[in-house]
Amino acid sequence: MSEPARSPANPSLLGTFALVFVSAAGLFVIDTFLARMEHAESQAQAARLLAEGQRLAKDGRFLEGIERFRAALAAAPGDMEAQLALAQGLLAANKLTDAKTLLTEMLARDPTDGMINFLMARVLAKEGRTAEAITYYHTAIYGRWPKDTTANRVSVRFELIDLLVKNDSKRELLAELLPLQDEAPPDIQTRMRIARLFILSGSPARAAEIFRQILRQDPQNADACAGLAEAQFAGRDFRSAQAEFSLAARLKPDNAQIQKRLDLTNEILALDPTRRGIRASERYRRSAKLVELALEDLNRCAGPTPPEAIRTVTAEASGALKSRVRAGRESEAADDDLELAEQLRQARKKFCHEPTPASAEALALVLDKLAQ
Amino acid sequence: MQDESGTGWKSKALKWFDDLRQRENQLTYVLSLVLGGLVGLVVVAFILLTGRLAARMYPAGGSGWRRILVPTFGSLGTGYLLYRYFPYARGSGIPQTKFALFVTDGYIRFRTVLGKFFCCSASLATGIALGREGPSVQVGAGLASVIARRLGLSKEQVRSLVPVGCSAALAAAFNTPIAAVLFSLEEIVGDLNAPVLGSVVLASATSWMVLHLVLGDDPLFHVSGYQLVHPVEFGIYAALGVVGGLGSVCFVKLLLGIRARFLRFPKWTVWFQPVAGGLGVGILGYFVPEVLGVGYDVVERALHGNLVVQLLVILAVLKIIATALCYGSGNAGGIFGPSLFIGAMIGGAVGSVAHALFPAYTAEPGAYALVGMGTAFAGIVRTPMTSVIMIFEVTRDYTIIVPLMISNMIAFFISYKLQKEPIYDALAHQDGVHLPSAQSRSTFGKIRVDQAMRPAPVVFPPDAEIAAAAEEMRHLKLSAAPVADGGGLWGMITRAKLEGAIARGLADKKLADILGESPGRHLPTAVEFPHVHPDQPLSPALTRMGAAGLDMLPVVSRGNLRELIGVVTLDNILHAYGIARPAEPEN
Repeated sequence: MSEPARSPANPSLLGTFALVFVSAAGLFVIDTFLARMEHAESQAQAARLLAEGQRLAKDGRFLEGIERFRAALAAAPGDMEAQLALAQGLLAANKLTDAKTLLTEMLARDPTDGMINFLMARVLAKEGRTAEAITYYHTAIYGRWPKDTTANRVSVRFELIDLLVKNDSKRELLAELLPLQDEAPPDIQTRMRIARLFILSGSPARAAEIFRQILRQDPQNADACAGLAEAQFAGRDFRSAQAEFSLAARLKPDNAQIQKRLDLTNEILALDPTRRGIRASERYRRSAKLVELALEDLNRCAGPTPPEAIRTVTAEASGALKSRVRAGRESEAADDDLELAEQLRQARKKFCHEPTPASAEALALVLDKLAQ
Repeated sequence: MQDESGTGWKSKALKWFDDLRQRENQLTYVLSLVLGGLVGLVVVAFILLTGRLAARMYPAGGSGWRRILVPTFGSLGTGYLLYRYFPYARGSGIPQTKFALFVTDGYIRFRTVLGKFFCCSASLATGIALGREGPSVQVGAGLASVIARRLGLSKEQVRSLVPVGCSAALAAAFNTPIAAVLFSLEEIVGDLNAPVLGSVVLASATSWMVLHLVLGDDPLFHVSGYQLVHPVEFGIYAALGVVGGLGSVCFVKLLLGIRARFLRFPKWTVWFQPVAGGLGVGILGYFVPEVLGVGYDVVERALHGNLVVQLLVILAVLKIIATALCYGSGNAGGIFGPSLFIGAMIGGAVGSVAHALFPAYTAEPGAYALVGMGTAFAGIVRTPMTSVIMIFEVTRDYTIIVPLMISNMIAFFISYKLQKEPIYDALAHQDGVHLPSAQSRSTFGKIRVDQAMRPAPVVFPPDAEIAAAAEEMRHLKLSAAPVADGGGLWGMITRAKLEGAIARGLADKKLADILGESPGRHLPTAVEFPHVHPDQPLSPALTRMGAAGLDMLPVVSRGNLRELIGVVTLDNILHAYGIARPAEPEN
């Protein structure tokens, strides 16, 4: 370690300072050159790793993808694209805490960025923190998008709408759909999607209007036809719905779903005692049928030892079904039966928590309509 | 005409430089600025060159065998260069810098600077598990020394510029200007109140600005804003301090042990001894590539909590082994960076376990990795102040400081208890050099007058007879004694002065007659009236005794210089340092 000391050489002040400044200038040039080289190499490496990571993520290999994204970030710290890719990877791999930490840091730097807010909304939605997620979705919608602003905003709003549908938030859903009608591209697919969402938001009239507009443009569009039928069905206009479903079934004869919905509509119409133009005896027959089906449904879900309230109402219904109705009294008897059917429906609602089976769907819909 | 103006300009410049050389303070500040800029540029070049070389040594997708071959042949090459051309460029650079500062009046050869720069850059690029900060410090100090000598400065000026170069180098190497200042003063100079503080700060700031100018405002590590989640975490940080302290001691002992073994080998083996380190780290790196090189990218991953606990533990252990082997075998590189690496891994492991056990009460493992870095640094390098400030600067986050302080102090204490000698001093000892330790330097200044002083054995009144006073002093074997009355201390009277007065026939006169003016006329200075205060260190007492030719000084109150509190004698001072002097022979 011991370095032998020597006496200083002849000092040359000017020469030394000149040498120092020339060396500094030379070093500055070398440093700048090396720094640029490093920057270029780091950027190239980061881009390669990012592409690799995106390929892996696309194949569903999220954890490997995340490693590449992290390596890309180590090579080019602060690279926005790599950070976003990492956040998406973490989200896809369900590493929500890590994703949230990263996104929080990114938001601290740029709180109005649309994409960051959008990813944060997704993280929160995945965590079940719907209210907070909605806030971030809104910030994303009204945030800054460097490219394809309108398309991105529409896409985010659709995702928000999906979340609202999932949470059955009809009022908020309608509030999102109204501006979306103006923002969304005017292609038929998007309009049909919006129309279907209007049905879910409890606004079938708006949905029907959109489907009608589409059908005016393209009368042979079976999906629009079925959509219009669904909107009419949701609005309890079963007769119109039957007509549209029939048309849709003719346009798309192989579509089982349309056929199923048509069958259900037919079943409802066959049961509906309020249908205009039917005779009193037919009305009575339908009301008695409703009582019979409602009783069967209640007995099935109440089990072998039903509570007292159910026993009372089912006994009354059984008695009513056995009693004979004199001619001329069908109308009054039909009203009594409809009242009894309503009682059975209420009892089912109160004591049975099973969902309505598919076989009783038509019955439930008719009873709901009658209750309204 | 041109020649005349040229000569005029040159003579003006020379005159200005000559004037500058005469004005020591101004010259020091100008040189601090120049050195800060130059050293900053050199260190940035060192960092970039190392990085670019490493990228070429280990291209993406390279074969695993490369990880064994590159460090092995790299260490063989640099080992030969170090042996043949740059013998003073081995190792860290910090003990060498301290040696230059304390032993050779700041003398560091330019050849050593060149050797350190290129050999270390090559060494680190090949994957040798050492750090770049220590070598940067030696390069910075060396440049300061070379320039100061070329300017024909005095030895004292050359010495005073060495810490300036150190702080400039560290500020650029680690992107921590405040920690660089502290490290230079705490570790290199060993005195936080050193008079070079201003120059050190100036050079550090200039160097840091150069770094930012070239590389931009990018922190060394990108760290999340960690916070203390729950007070229970203080306990976990304390546990981290214990683990970090023990880990530090293991590292230091292993490194010193391995180095001692290599030093025992025959001298002709020195040139290829580094191969042992290169091959060792290569074999470890073949299986665990993260062990290779400085490893700050791995530290960054630990800081983000991206490493599993098993890997963290493995990396901590392997890095301790790899660094000890690389350093001990004589490769060029420092232990500053590896300390941070080891600390981050230990911290990350402790944090991962704590977070798995108490997720609701603990921060992410990255927070512990961060604190662990400072903890290991405090335990290994033994500069707790520097480590706290350094982590603060690295993270630019204040919230983690309190846990860091707790953890650091525990690690420092454990390290101090289990490994008495700090690593840089121990390394110098192995080379047969006994540097003044920070402790010995601070102990000398820390013993105060009130720890050595005694009550005055006798206080003469001013109206005492000269003969009687001389007789009593002879009887008490005193060479001086205080003279005081109700108004306070008059001064000190020496036996020689009394005997002189008796020889002149003044034996029956009073002491007041030969002491001069009575107290209260004016406030005397320390020169007119040699004295010390109880809270002063002993060193000024010795200086004043020498200047006044007294072996006893009165200890007086700071509030009233005439208030005698006691006296301090040369024997008292020697006794305070544990040196007993033989009794004075009777006259």
